[in-house]
Amino acid sequence: MSKATDSRTMIEMIKVTKRYPPNVMALDDISVSIASGEMFFLIGRSGAGKTTLLKLLCNMERPSNGLIEIAGMNIHQVTGNKLAKLRQKVGVAYQDFRLLTDRTVAENIAISMEVSYKKPELIRNRVRSLLAQLQLEDKHDMLTGDLSRGEQQRIALARAVANSPSLILVDEPTGNLDATSTAQVMELLSRSHNAGATIVIATHDESIYRHSSHRIMEINNGRISSLTKGDGQGWPNAAGAMDGGSGDAI
Amino acid sequence: MNFWFSIFRQTGRNLRQTWTTMFMTCLTVSLSVLIFSFFYLIYLNMLNAESRLSNELRLVVYLEEEPGPELQEQMRLKISRFDQVEEIKFISKAEAFNRFADQLGDNREVLTDMPQDFLPASIEVIPLKTLRNLSQVKLFAEYLATLPGTQMVQYGQKWIERFYSFIKLLSIVVLISGFLLILTATFMVASTIRLTIVSRQEELELLKLVGATNNYIRTPFLLEGILVGLMGSLLGLASLYALFQWTTHHLAGAGFLDLFTFIFFPPGIIFIIIALSIVLCTAGSYTSMQKFLRI
Ligand SMILES: Nc1ncnc2c1ncn2[C@@H]1O[C@H](COP(=O)(O)OP(=O)(O)OP(=O)(O)O)[C@@H](O)[C@H]1O
Ligand SMILES: [Mg+2]
Repeated sequence: MSKATDSRTMIEMIKVTKRYPPNVMALDDISVSIASGEMFFLIGRSGAGKTTLLKLLCNMERPSNGLIEIAGMNIHQVTGNKLAKLRQKVGVAYQDFRLLTDRTVAENIAISMEVSYKKPELIRNRVRSLLAQLQLEDKHDMLTGDLSRGEQQRIALARAVANSPSLILVDEPTGNLDATSTAQVMELLSRSHNAGATIVIATHDESIYRHSSHRIMEINNGRISSLTKGDGQGWPNAAGAMDGGSGDAI
Repeated sequence: MNFWFSIFRQTGRNLRQTWTTMFMTCLTVSLSVLIFSFFYLIYLNMLNAESRLSNELRLVVYLEEEPGPELQEQMRLKISRFDQVEEIKFISKAEAFNRFADQLGDNREVLTDMPQDFLPASIEVIPLKTLRNLSQVKLFAEYLATLPGTQMVQYGQKWIERFYSFIKLLSIVVLISGFLLILTATFMVASTIRLTIVSRQEELELLKLVGATNNYIRTPFLLEGILVGLMGSLLGLASLYALFQWTTHHLAGAGFLDLFTFIFFPPGIIFIIIALSIVLCTAGSYTSMQKFLRI
C-alpha cells in the first residue's frame, strides 16, 4: 500500500471522497501529496470543503472513498495506542478552537504536551515562550472563556504547535486578527516550519499566502480547481502539476 | 513515573471539579458499609455467644426408675448407637438430691423433711461438638425420649429454639444488607462517574484528539472509584467502631449483658470489608466507563 509513499512524503491522498448524509458531496476525488517539511495552503470559498479535508487528515472523519496516508500509515486503520501516538505527532488548530473554556490559558496550551508525558518544567517553559511569541503573556492565568475571539484563536494555535508535532493542521488561523497579530501567527508557524514540521493551512486570508513561495491548492465545491505557487508564478491547473509539484515544493 | 504523575494530576483535577458529588457518594458508600457491618457485627457476636452457650449444651433424660448397672450398660449402648457422644453420665437419686442441696446452699434445711429419693434419677448426655445444629439436637432428644423407662428429656428447648431462630433471622438481615451494600456502592459510584463523564464529554473528546491514550483517560476514573471505595469503607467502619466503643462503654455496668463479651471485627474481616468496598466501587466506575466513555 505504501509503495507510492517515500519517506519524504508526509501526506498522501488518493482519490479521496467525502460524502455527508444525506447527500452533501463535501470532497470529490481529491488526490494530492504533500512532502515532509512542506508548507501548504488550502484555499477556497466558504463551504468548499477545506475544514472537511483537515478533519479527514486528523482522523476526525473517515473518507467515504479513497486512501489517506500520513507518514506512510493509513490513519483510518490505526486504532488504540497507535492512533494516540500518531495524534500526538499531529497538532491541529480547529476552526472552532475547541478550547476548554473553564480552564486557564496555560492549562489549555499544556494539554497537548501533558498527554505525551512531558516534564512539568518543560511544559511551563514552553507555555511561557509561546505566550511571549504571541504577546499574550498577561493572559497566562485567565480562563480561555473570558478571552476575545482573536485571543482564543491564537491560544488554539499555540496548543497545536506546543508539542512540536511533525504535522500541523491549521484552520483559519487569522480570521479574527489584525495585521500585527497575523504577522505574529505566521511568524510562529514559520518557526515550526523551519524546525521541520509539515504545515497545512486552510485560509481565506489572501495576505498570508499571496507572497509566499509555497504551494496553494484551491478547492471549489469539493474538487481541486487549481494547484499553484505563491507570487503568481504557479500553474493554472492542478491535474498535470501535482506530481511535479511535490518534488520541488520545498 | 511520568505516567503516574500525569494520572495523579488528572485525578486531582477531576476531584477539584467534582469533589462535592464525590463526597456525597463517599458518604452513601460509608452509610451502606455502616449498615452492613453493623448487622454483621451483631451476627458475629451472636455466633460467638452461641458457641459459648453450646459448650454447655447437655440433654438430661429423666428416668422413671433408678437403673441398675446392667441396665445402665444397655442404655449407654443404645444411646451411642444413635450417635457418638462426648459423655454419658448417670445421676442416681441420691446424687441428684445432693446436687440440689448444694445448689440451695444455706437454705438446704428446707430439704430436711424430704425423702432422699424424691428427685428422679437421670442421664446427662453431652453431645459431640459437631452436633450443634438445632434440628439434630431435636432429633437426638426425640430418640432419647423413646428409650424405655424415660420420663422426659430436657435441653432448654424454648430458649435454644428462640436463640437459633434469632440467629437465622439475623443471617438473613446480614445477607440483605450485604446485598444493599453491593447495590448502593456499585450504582452510586457508577452514576457519579457517569455524571462526571457526561459533564466533561467535551474535555474527554479533546483529550482523545490531542492523542491521549485510553489509559490516560480511564485510569483517573478508576482511581476515583478506588478512592471512594477506600474512604467510604474506612469512614463506615470508623463510625461503627465509635458506636461499638460507646455501646460497650455504656452497657458495661448493666448486669445482664455481662453474660456476653462483645467483640469487634478481627483485622481479617476489616480487611475483607474494605477490599470488597473498593472492588465494588471500582467495578461501578468501570461499568460507567465502558458504557459512556466512547473510546
Ligand atoms: N457534519 C456535516 N454534516 C453534513 N454536512 C456537512 C458537515 N460538515 C460539513 N458539511 C458540508 O460540507 C461542505 C464543506 O464544509 P466545510 O466545513 O469543509 O467548508 P469550509 O471550506 O471549511 O468552509 P468555511 O471556509 O466556511 O470554513 C459544506 O457544504 C458543509 O455544509
Ligand atoms: Mg472551514
